[in-house]
Amino acid sequence: MAVRPLSRPVEIYKHPLHKYVDAVRWLPPISALDRHAVLALFDSDCGSSSVEIHSFLNPKTDASSTSAMLTALTTWNPPSRVSSLKTTLIGHRPFIAVSTADGSVYLVSAHDAHTLVEIGAVHEVHACPVSCIDLLEGGSECVSVGEDGKVNLVSFGSSTVTNTLFFDSNGLVSYSAAKWASPNEFATGGLDFGLQWWDRRKPGSPVSQFKCNWAQGRASGIIHSIDIHPSRKHTCLAGGSLGTIFAWDLRWQHEPIIFSESRIGVGSKHSVSESEVWEVQCVCDGRSTSTSNFSSSSRMLPIMMCSEDGILAVLEQGMNLLVISDSQMSSSRNVFHFWFYIFFRKLMAVFAFPIYSCKRTENTSSVNSQFRPKVCSCLQ
Amino acid sequence: MPETAPAGGEVVPMSSGHGQPLAPRLSICWSRGNSLRVSLFSLASFEDEAGGEVVEVKLCDGGDGEISNAQWRTIAYDSVSPFAMLQNRRNSMSSFSNINPSPYHLECWEYMMDYSKDINVLLGNKKSSVDSLIEDPDIFLKKTEEPTCLKAAWELMEMFYVNKLSQAWLPERIVDWLADYDRLFAALHGTVHMKVMNFQNVHNDIEVYEDDLRYWDVIESALAVGWLEIAVKMLRRHGSYQLDQLSNRETENGLVEAVALLISKMPRMRSELEPGRLGECYKAKPDFIKAWDKWRGQITKLDSCAFWIQCHHGQTREGLKKLLQILLGNTNSLLAATTNWLELCVSHLIYIRPFTVGLESMYNLAQNCIQLKPMSSPHKLMNIIIGILGENTEVVLAECSKEFGPWMVAHAIELLTVGSNEAESLLHEERYNLGEISLEELHRLAYAQVLSSHALTWQIAPVYLSSCMKHGMGLLEILLYKQPVQLKELLLKNLEICRLYDLDDCSSNIMKMAGVYHWKHGRKGSGIYWLQQARDEFRLNKIAQQLFASVGKSISDESFKQWEGLIGLLDSESNAAGGFEFLHKYRDFKRSLQQIGDGKNDIAAQKAIDSLMLLMRNTSTPQRFWLPLLNDSLKLLNWQHRPLLSVSNTNLLLNKLQELSSARLHPGFVKPDLPAEALNSVRLALATNLGRAILEE
Repeated sequence: MAVRPLSRPVEIYKHPLHKYVDAVRWLPPISALDRHAVLALFDSDCGSSSVEIHSFLNPKTDASSTSAMLTALTTWNPPSRVSSLKTTLIGHRPFIAVSTADGSVYLVSAHDAHTLVEIGAVHEVHACPVSCIDLLEGGSECVSVGEDGKVNLVSFGSSTVTNTLFFDSNGLVSYSAAKWASPNEFATGGLDFGLQWWDRRKPGSPVSQFKCNWAQGRASGIIHSIDIHPSRKHTCLAGGSLGTIFAWDLRWQHEPIIFSESRIGVGSKHSVSESEVWEVQCVCDGRSTSTSNFSSSSRMLPIMMCSEDGILAVLEQGMNLLVISDSQMSSSRNVFHFWFYIFFRKLMAVFAFPIYSCKRTENTSSVNSQFRPKVCSCLQ
Repeated sequence: MPETAPAGGEVVPMSSGHGQPLAPRLSICWSRGNSLRVSLFSLASFEDEAGGEVVEVKLCDGGDGEISNAQWRTIAYDSVSPFAMLQNRRNSMSSFSNINPSPYHLECWEYMMDYSKDINVLLGNKKSSVDSLIEDPDIFLKKTEEPTCLKAAWELMEMFYVNKLSQAWLPERIVDWLADYDRLFAALHGTVHMKVMNFQNVHNDIEVYEDDLRYWDVIESALAVGWLEIAVKMLRRHGSYQLDQLSNRETENGLVEAVALLISKMPRMRSELEPGRLGECYKAKPDFIKAWDKWRGQITKLDSCAFWIQCHHGQTREGLKKLLQILLGNTNSLLAATTNWLELCVSHLIYIRPFTVGLESMYNLAQNCIQLKPMSSPHKLMNIIIGILGENTEVVLAECSKEFGPWMVAHAIELLTVGSNEAESLLHEERYNLGEISLEELHRLAYAQVLSSHALTWQIAPVYLSSCMKHGMGLLEILLYKQPVQLKELLLKNLEICRLYDLDDCSSNIMKMAGVYHWKHGRKGSGIYWLQQARDEFRLNKIAQQLFASVGKSISDESFKQWEGLIGLLDSESNAAGGFEFLHKYRDFKRSLQQIGDGKNDIAAQKAIDSLMLLMRNTSTPQRFWLPLLNDSLKLLNWQHRPLLSVSNTNLLLNKLQELSSARLHPGFVKPDLPAEALNSVRLALATNLGRAILEE
């Protein structure tokens, strides 16, 4: 895979938190100057979990780069460990949807960065931990999926939270990722790199399905993350086990567009990582000079990904744009440059707690790349 | 509900609250994280009272006082990479050195140095990050981050064991080390650092420096341990430098300046001198000796010059003379100026024996100094120093283990073996009483156990376990099996570790556990997925066998869906079970049977009959299902509109029925769970159909 270095250096900030970081998102900005992140933490020593708002102070552009700080502002304690967390802005107010390991979904509102108020909850709508939730952008609806095969639609009223069981596979199919495409459509993903496309106007079964029937030699795995670009709703981007990232175009359903994959025997030659890809996102910042090259719909937009073995990268279709590792840390004063911008925002969460993987290898030159902190989430 | 006892203490006093002695029954077990759960049960005689008490005792949360648990975890994570890198380089080196042993050693030093430096960096920053450009004249000692004993100990070992290139400059390196870490000894004994700090705090109140005894005392002490910059800076605060005094005290000022100049021109044998540091740097011994002799000559000359008589300020004269004695290496002056044996030892290294090489002579020196300045309770770093100087690897190891814990031992062992065959054989020799493992492996295993016991660090334990030749992999497998399969992230991490260490069996066993877990919790899809990933033919066949049980039964719509779904899931693996071809076809048959509905749909019925024929013709269809299948399709055989089966097909089915009748006589025949008259009604239906078919044709 070809690696194209960035024209500008990238700054990386590490913020060790000494607790498990279960999920992390940006809080939609309350004012123009603030930058806040919502973190779901788990303290394994006392078994308590918390959802915290942290302020992220922009580093001084003239000082040395280590001055970026994370400061906890407020905390809300869910009764069970957080499995997934999403944020949205409803009527100029940031809302946080939190799903937990006991199968419940909570809605929490942030009046300002210093207060978190629980609006309501639906309890134990799944028989197992909720795998993933997704909030409708700017809307008041949330889709939640679980390994028990339930697809729930949780709607948030002004004061009530109600739940509708949209589909139940009775455990025959397990879902591990979900993403809204439009107010009526959403996609889910699960085992065997399977993707399902749902339309709430046509309940009872998925409108369309993609199942891993790839050619021999491709290993099977689990989808961990789905993203759908708002301007290209027919394309569903998915990332999962073994460094697999592909896009499923509803118009050409049987031919996935492969970004990265591991093949048995070939190893990671075609893959940016060999490990679990925890999150994929379409790069949708219009300021990038490189995205303009992809304006024709025949090519995929570049994507961002993060993985268990600590790789944070931007990929183009067929070519690796950039892989960031620790060694590429350097300082830049050009804080608002596009590339810096995304990584700057992503990385603060990424290194919240380092989880390493390692590999026994005889090749000394590659050793360093094997010991990177886990990237638990990427943000944009 | 267990209550949490106040944290922090290692000993928690407990009272039974009954006024009676504690019950003899006590149970202690690990609770979540770093807590112990202590359950106290009442004596049987107190049955009327409450049954007992459960207390959770949180074990010292703050690490070892100097470094918190969270910081230890950060250190643990950061040291994985240098450690693994070193092991890798070693492995590739040792395979290479068999062919060509000579370059091995040189490169080995480099690797060790890289490793040691990497670890040193992660233990914290020594120098303060902000250096103000304008020097504050009132500050003699720059404020730096509080150093840790851990880092001090590591640097000590790096200095003596690894950094062989600068062995010739060892005395100067020890001086630097003490300058960085002198304040660590403050807790137990007075130090020069403390003296300087105390003076720095009060010196603004002193009007005339040279009249104050403390002023001269501090300069002496700072000079004795080689802090030339501080000594000179303080000397320049001498009253005679003030402009209004300069004319009256010219000679005095000249003497002060001469001493200050001599101090700043002191020859030092070291590789380099950072900017701002005083002294003149000599790399090679001959140059140094020449400069040293010249410098000493200048001091003697100054000491015996006539200007002293013209110096009217008594305290200045006394003070300066004392400083000269220190520079000349007067044993008594050095003894008086230093506060503990280590400082005394360093002062000897600077002024009396700058050429000291070899650990033996240093050890003798240290022993002498200890006799001169004995200490009631030795500091942990001093114990390590004595161990190092005495070339006693076991003592060093024991001190490291006692004072700094398993992390230190596991990582420092690497340093101890460098270039010392003795230490190497001590640490690498396999010992019978340790279960045939070496000390090195023992300490690595111990450290790995510590890592394994915490939820946030277990995943780095494999790096250390895999470097243990004898028991490492076995323990690694146990560790991996111990991890719960319920959490998806944990399970995937577990499997990834298996993949990285080529533990295929372990991996498939964990997948099997996950599969069974999900299956039992009703997540059939996940269960089958993991069993398929594990290629667990046995359990997949078991599941398939359960599916056969519904053949020939009438099943409800809901359970048919479930059954159908399971076939779909199992089907995705082509080699899952041989009987699957049958189940697949049976599903099609059953589906078309259900589509017939009210019995008027000719096309659906024809389809069902086709499926039936496919099933009956196929050799993979088990004999025991023949009758249930035919019984299922009675409706088709008695189809009202027209006979659905052709003559030849009917004959085939009749033959099968005949075969079945004769098979009944065999001892191993399994009687299908059907009403007794089923066979007869099927026979009758077939016969009727045959008649109708012949007529039709």
